[in-house]
Amino acid sequence: MKNGTLVVFKKEMARFLGDKRLFFTTVILPGLMIFIMYSIMGQSMSSLVKDSVEKQYNTYIVNMPAVVSRLLEESNFDVTEIAENEIDGTKDKLKSKDADLLVVFPADFEKNIASFGQEGREIPYVEVYYYSSNMVSSAAYSRITALFDEMEQGISNVFDVNPDTENTMYDVATDEDTTGTLFASILPMVLLMLIYSSCMAIAPESIAGEKERGTFAAMLLTPVPRGQIALGKVLALSAMALLGGISSCVGTILSMPSLMGDVMESGDGMSISLSAYTPGDYAGLIVIILSTVILFITIISVLSAYAKTVKEASTLVLPVMLLVMFAGLSSIYSSEAKTEIYWYLVPILNSVQSLIGIFARSTGTVNIAVTAGVNIVVSAIGMLILRQMFNSEKIMFAR
Amino acid sequence: MKEVLKVEGLTKSFKLSKKQQKLENTDTKIKTAVKGLSFSAFEGEIFGLLGPNGAGKTTTLRMLATLIKPDSGDAFINGTSVVKEPEKVREKMGFLTSELKLEEFFTPNFLYDFFSDMHKIPDDVREKRKEELFKKFGIDKFAEVKTANLSTGMKQKTSLVVSVAHDPDIIIFDEPTNGLDVITAKVVTDFLLELKAQGKTIIVSTHIFSLVEKICDRAGIIIDGEMILCDRIDSLTKEKNLEDLFFELYFQRKGGDI
Repeated sequence: MKNGTLVVFKKEMARFLGDKRLFFTTVILPGLMIFIMYSIMGQSMSSLVKDSVEKQYNTYIVNMPAVVSRLLEESNFDVTEIAENEIDGTKDKLKSKDADLLVVFPADFEKNIASFGQEGREIPYVEVYYYSSNMVSSAAYSRITALFDEMEQGISNVFDVNPDTENTMYDVATDEDTTGTLFASILPMVLLMLIYSSCMAIAPESIAGEKERGTFAAMLLTPVPRGQIALGKVLALSAMALLGGISSCVGTILSMPSLMGDVMESGDGMSISLSAYTPGDYAGLIVIILSTVILFITIISVLSAYAKTVKEASTLVLPVMLLVMFAGLSSIYSSEAKTEIYWYLVPILNSVQSLIGIFARSTGTVNIAVTAGVNIVVSAIGMLILRQMFNSEKIMFAR
Repeated sequence: MKEVLKVEGLTKSFKLSKKQQKLENTDTKIKTAVKGLSFSAFEGEIFGLLGPNGAGKTTTLRMLATLIKPDSGDAFINGTSVVKEPEKVREKMGFLTSELKLEEFFTPNFLYDFFSDMHKIPDDVREKRKEELFKKFGIDKFAEVKTANLSTGMKQKTSLVVSVAHDPDIIIFDEPTNGLDVITAKVVTDFLLELKAQGKTIIVSTHIFSLVEKICDRAGIIIDGEMILCDRIDSLTKEKNLEDLFFELYFQRKGGDI
């Protein structure tokens, strides 16, 4: 016997896979766009940083002590000595970006330093002026303050903190741990947004579109029960959305190195290690993503069935997108998954929490099972609603 | 003769929007499109529903086709109620209307298979029937062309073939020759006669008198959602032709003004 769900599923897939343009725009394009966008973002960020690091800093110094002069000799500070009455003029130069840094030493700085340790000594002020709207100036500021701090420590060495960074790993977190924390804070939201947008790209067209073009009614004339039509559509759309979602994920993962390159370089040898995750983690990930895709598709299908046109459907699905975004944002503020079970009973939020748990390698199987169960139950209810909608002449034939 | 279709007191009303109320100059929020319509159609006959635009023909046919539900009344196809067992009715019924479109992305071949499968037709039966029908209508040469690229006539023929893919007992056509050139229209009317010869029951709605006179065995005249007259064509046209009879009835009802 031929099954109505299967026939509808096959037709939807034929429509999708047979249309090269549709396939390209929903499967290839999202991943490609994300890869290109993130790579360009990463590269321009790192070149900005590189620029500000390698540049010569146009530095003006008042009352330059000899010890500082020696300190700056081999650095990329291009020093000009000026008199005290030129301070105000130089501040203006900072604003017009003709100068990057202005350092004012007190006149008796060297004498004062030499008397270090004596009683009654006044602590001298060194004033460093910079212009934070100028990236080069900002970079110069942090470089020179770091240099001065070092210099100060050299004079008054009471104790050292972490002196041997070359031979000792002071951060006891493993690569797996850092990867977990990094991924848990970023990926849940990115992943959910990507999945939702790929659902959004497909479902309205397939349901509101067919309604609008009058091809849906032809299907309703067949003896296949409405519930089977709904199920066939939802499953086929989920499969397509999953392909789009996978493409987006691949794009994201491939662009990670260039996007995160600087963070990783400056972050004390932190590196991403995909071996952080066990097959169990990956299985959990697949379960969560699958159940979430089906849930999203069902929600969007119900909204699309309600809409009279594809355009209306695209508008109706936007508020849900905001919900997904808000739920996803919670991952950025907490890189640890909640353990209380009630978090996993709320659709969308449960997916976010489960994903955080998986990426931070701290989730329990029970929570994942509850999330998947809730998603499937809610989707099933959605499909029953969809079936009722397909049965309703007011909804299917409204003009 | 076996009664295939029995319509009993079908009634359907729609809500009018505020704008529509103004347009029709009325305070009533509800417009009754079909008022207690009853008629029967028999095996191997073509039944014509004749009426002006807005008389309720299409609404009646959509109720028979189970796309919309009547407010009251019922219709039975070989004893199966369109209200209570719509899925069973859909198995035995074909419906063709210009409102139902074929997905333009697909080819006639794909669409035929799809609708056959939706009706659970066995593969061997499907292939045999498809070959016959495609050949008869000349679709065979265009079987693998996307519907979007077919001519209007070929599209209409494809719709026709797809609507009878499951070999229904009763076939409902809403304005079957509307918008077709004379040659395609003839192909369609010839096919209706052929279906009739096969013992099928055919319900046709139209406002074209000549078509009714030419192919229908019996006809019902609908004005304002009510069946004014329903009889055999030869009895209806005994004294005057159908067109004159229609105008006479129309003026009687509307009081002489059009």
